[in-house]
Amino acid sequence: MSDHDHDHKPAPVVDEVSDFEILEVAVRELAIEKGLFTMDDHRTWTEYIHTLGPTPAARLVAKAWLDPEYKKLCIEDGVTASREVDIDWVTSPPTQFGTPSDYCNLRVLADTPTLKHVVVCTLCSCYPRPILGQSPEWYRTPNYRRRLVRWPRQVLSEFGLQVPEDVEVRVADSNQKTRYIVMPNRPEGTDGWTEDQLTEIVTRDCLIGVAVPKPGVTSNVKLPVMKAANPVPH
Amino acid sequence: MSSSTREEILRHLDAVGQLQPALHKPTQAPAPTEIDHTLYRAYTRSAHDVGGEYDVPIEYHEKEEEIWELNTFATCECLAWRGVWSAEERRRRQNVDVGQTQYLGLPYYGRWLMTAALIMVDKQYVTLSELSDKIEEVKNRHV
Amino acid sequence: MSKPVYDRTHHAKMATGVGDPQCFSGKAGDAKFKVGDRVRVRDLPDIFYTRTMTYARGLEGTVVELVYESPPAENEAWDNTEVSEWFYSVVFSQHDIWPAYSVGYPNDTLETEFSERWLEAV
Repeated sequence: MSDHDHDHKPAPVVDEVSDFEILEVAVRELAIEKGLFTMDDHRTWTEYIHTLGPTPAARLVAKAWLDPEYKKLCIEDGVTASREVDIDWVTSPPTQFGTPSDYCNLRVLADTPTLKHVVVCTLCSCYPRPILGQSPEWYRTPNYRRRLVRWPRQVLSEFGLQVPEDVEVRVADSNQKTRYIVMPNRPEGTDGWTEDQLTEIVTRDCLIGVAVPKPGVTSNVKLPVMKAANPVPH
Repeated sequence: MSSSTREEILRHLDAVGQLQPALHKPTQAPAPTEIDHTLYRAYTRSAHDVGGEYDVPIEYHEKEEEIWELNTFATCECLAWRGVWSAEERRRRQNVDVGQTQYLGLPYYGRWLMTAALIMVDKQYVTLSELSDKIEEVKNRHV
Repeated sequence: MSKPVYDRTHHAKMATGVGDPQCFSGKAGDAKFKVGDRVRVRDLPDIFYTRTMTYARGLEGTVVELVYESPPAENEAWDNTEVSEWFYSVVFSQHDIWPAYSVGYPNDTLETEFSERWLEAV
């Protein structure tokens, strides 16, 4: 605050409320007034979203690295395998029929020494929220969606990932009801690690496929953050 | 491989790469004969179908979420939970029906929000007058 | 004119405790294709809505998985779930999709899904 503030008329408060904020309140209140859903439904859903994040998916990968039988289950039936990390695609969401936008068909794409997967949704930005949380902003951009299917190695290199020439890059375009996570290869230097230790290095970016796990790296690729005017408190 | 289809597809992707939101550049009403198959296909494409379009590298970002964005997501999912629309109906409306200008021009959750407002009007759960009155009322709370 | 009345419970009735697409399981009849089949993506009119990407039209690929049964997206986009189809995951060579794809990477691929009506036998 400067000393000269009193020289200026304060801006009307309305200028500080965006059109989106006004419309959001109007839509939510009308939907509740008309009985389309209840205030309780909305609060329940918001609380559910706050419980989501990438940890269950990371743990699924760590478990699979330690247990070949479980890895097989992950590849054959991702939805059943998710229960081992306390995610029930059908009954964890408040609906009891899955989240409307994510459906209930997870596929786990297992990398091999000669195969590297990376995920995109070119048509919107489908993402396995129940096991991975909310998608990052870049994943939603037309830019990532346009380019990943056509120039995947270039986009991966922009995330700092150089895929060797003899490794097949497979782009999975999540265009219908299936949601994907990538199961990267277990990196060297993790012998004897516990499930918790392994879980820590399987970042969100590894699970999308734009990064690979490395001992000592427990955060996503460092990118600039767009600030919100009224951010969701964490 | 059906080569004529592939040739058309690649021509089509070139054509739509030239489309831009026409915010300040109204097009002249064309004569029907001016719209050949290539242009027809370009104009009637689904705006969400961007895979493979030309684009240059940009700096990717993380983003803090606005409270209204989270609320919008919850509202849209509650509308589906309680059977007002299906997720596929929402996607069609917010990614295609909005048209290319809004599709590329509005924030991600801005489109979700517009579509949530419109579904209530389209399915006659509220009239547009009620929606307008409500927007006006909410706006006045902050004056 | 009277207001339309929508049944807002039909999806919940089908899917509660079951999930979606699980709730459409068994509704599509026999699958036309099996894993390993070579298929071509049809270039059908895509007026108003589709989830079959333009870049995939006319391409030949290999079925790698029968993923589920579901109404095609083009119908569900108007909340119509009367008819279900098999959905297939299909893998394509990047060199078939993009003529100018880097020649150094002959093995790169792309995998995505189609409902049965979008595929034909090669």
